[in-house]
Amino acid sequence: MVNWNDLWLFALPALVCWAAAAVLSLRGGKQKPVCLLTVCGMLIFGSYIALMWLSLERPPLRTMGETRLWYSFFLPLVGLLTYSRWHYRWVLSFSTLLSAVFICINILKPEIHDKVMMPALQSPWFAPHVIIYMFAYATTGVATLLALWQLCRGQDQLAAIDNLTRVGLSFITIGMLFGALWAKEAWGTYWSWDPKETWAAATWLCYLVYVHLRRSRPLAVRPALLWLVLCFLCLQMCWWGINYLPSAQGMSIHTYNS
Amino acid sequence: MKKPCKPWGMTEGGLVCCGLAAAGVVLQFAVGSVRWEAMAWPVNILVLSGLLLGIVLMHFCRSKVRLFRWMATLPAGIPAIVACAMMTVLMGVTRQVPSGHVPAEPLGITAMLSFWPFVLAYLWLTLLVGMVCMTRLRPSWRNVPFLLNHLGIFTALVAGTLGNADMQRLRMVTQEGKTEWRAVDARHRVHELPIAIELHDFSIEEQPKLSYASDVTVYTKSGISVRDTIRVNKPLSVRGWKIYQYSYDEAKGGMSDISIFELVRDPWLPYVYLGIFMMLAGAVWLFVKW
Repeated sequence: MVNWNDLWLFALPALVCWAAAAVLSLRGGKQKPVCLLTVCGMLIFGSYIALMWLSLERPPLRTMGETRLWYSFFLPLVGLLTYSRWHYRWVLSFSTLLSAVFICINILKPEIHDKVMMPALQSPWFAPHVIIYMFAYATTGVATLLALWQLCRGQDQLAAIDNLTRVGLSFITIGMLFGALWAKEAWGTYWSWDPKETWAAATWLCYLVYVHLRRSRPLAVRPALLWLVLCFLCLQMCWWGINYLPSAQGMSIHTYNS
Repeated sequence: MKKPCKPWGMTEGGLVCCGLAAAGVVLQFAVGSVRWEAMAWPVNILVLSGLLLGIVLMHFCRSKVRLFRWMATLPAGIPAIVACAMMTVLMGVTRQVPSGHVPAEPLGITAMLSFWPFVLAYLWLTLLVGMVCMTRLRPSWRNVPFLLNHLGIFTALVAGTLGNADMQRLRMVTQEGKTEWRAVDARHRVHELPIAIELHDFSIEEQPKLSYASDVTVYTKSGISVRDTIRVNKPLSVRGWKIYQYSYDEAKGGMSDISIFELVRDPWLPYVYLGIFMMLAGAVWLFVKW
């Protein structure tokens, strides 16, 4: 069975596919081979996740390293959806680069943990809750990169940013509510304001501000984009920042590393 | 001709939020933290009626009072969401004491859920969401996703907050072969319950997955008895009570003859779920419409 040492065997061909698709789309190639190459890379990378799932005997969703796998997997998908929808040539280069960064982190610093999962995590809610969140992180990640691009280079990407953020927000909402339903089922409270939940609420509210601000002041583009970057920082805090936050030490039920 | 200045915009929204925060701090020093336990039945139903009545009244007076008209607009709402986000971030960067405990410092931000400025910010936002829902309460397809999202969060938030004091969350320690009907709350007060639990066997299963299980019979006052196995993630529901596997005698592990349950009664739960499912539908709608 596979383990972390085999990651590069799958990641390298996948990255080659994604990079080829990115170059092809940059040069204005046809859409079909670009999509095909991206999907091919996702299948290769996806099979690594599937094999990890089998050899760990649990969904690979528990550690930071494992969630990064899903992030690397979803980024090209979000890139592909954006590419096929709005025909941005460069978006696949973005998503490939970001995905490569996360793969490199995982190759250089894999986090190995035991097989046994806490009983509370053995729930049918667990996989959808985390996978939906990872997809939302990928979508909002691309939206943030586009926002930075527009802030620095002045190219108008607003339609794509708005749409990606809206999709990201709807997934954040679904992931959060799944978490609430699961928590009620497992612990008896849907919302217990532990540090991760508090930051999830703050992140959700921040993205709500963006969506409402865009509707209220469509011409105030720069403040909205700056706010979007702030939203993403908040999301990072929720995802991994709280692990380093003094106020959250030993408080969260969301950290299971004994 | 000079454009008439609009006195109610985003600036006023920000000012209202600052005012509420200041008022909250004053209240915090004057009367102390918010006492949520005072919200227990029937106070919560009175507060709910007052809130809804207030929203409806303000809605129907909106042609006369500019403030009420403004309350249902984005320039009022956006600063309110920002205020709630800021209070929530403040909560995220301060170490919170467990719920029900007194704050660890004089201001009260370590018990954020009972901190007046926090509560007032969320109350203000809830009020505004209620007001904006009123303006969209007309049968039209265009209003459906809007109402699912806004009425959904309104319902979940109001029912969750007001119902919290009615929620009973008790711990019951049971011993193999014995029947227990007493349980203690977080303040170690003993409650006699309308249901009793007899523990037949507690076991820890390692295969295929690590799991704790309690084989029990639950008796009710009306004479019904239910025999079942309670596991983590597999609570048992009996007469409005949900019984969760909570703990066991950890020193003895699988040989423990003690099993500890958490019993939860939450009469407002259906309304919270209604709100959550409305929001889920609204979020899916938002995504599909993309």
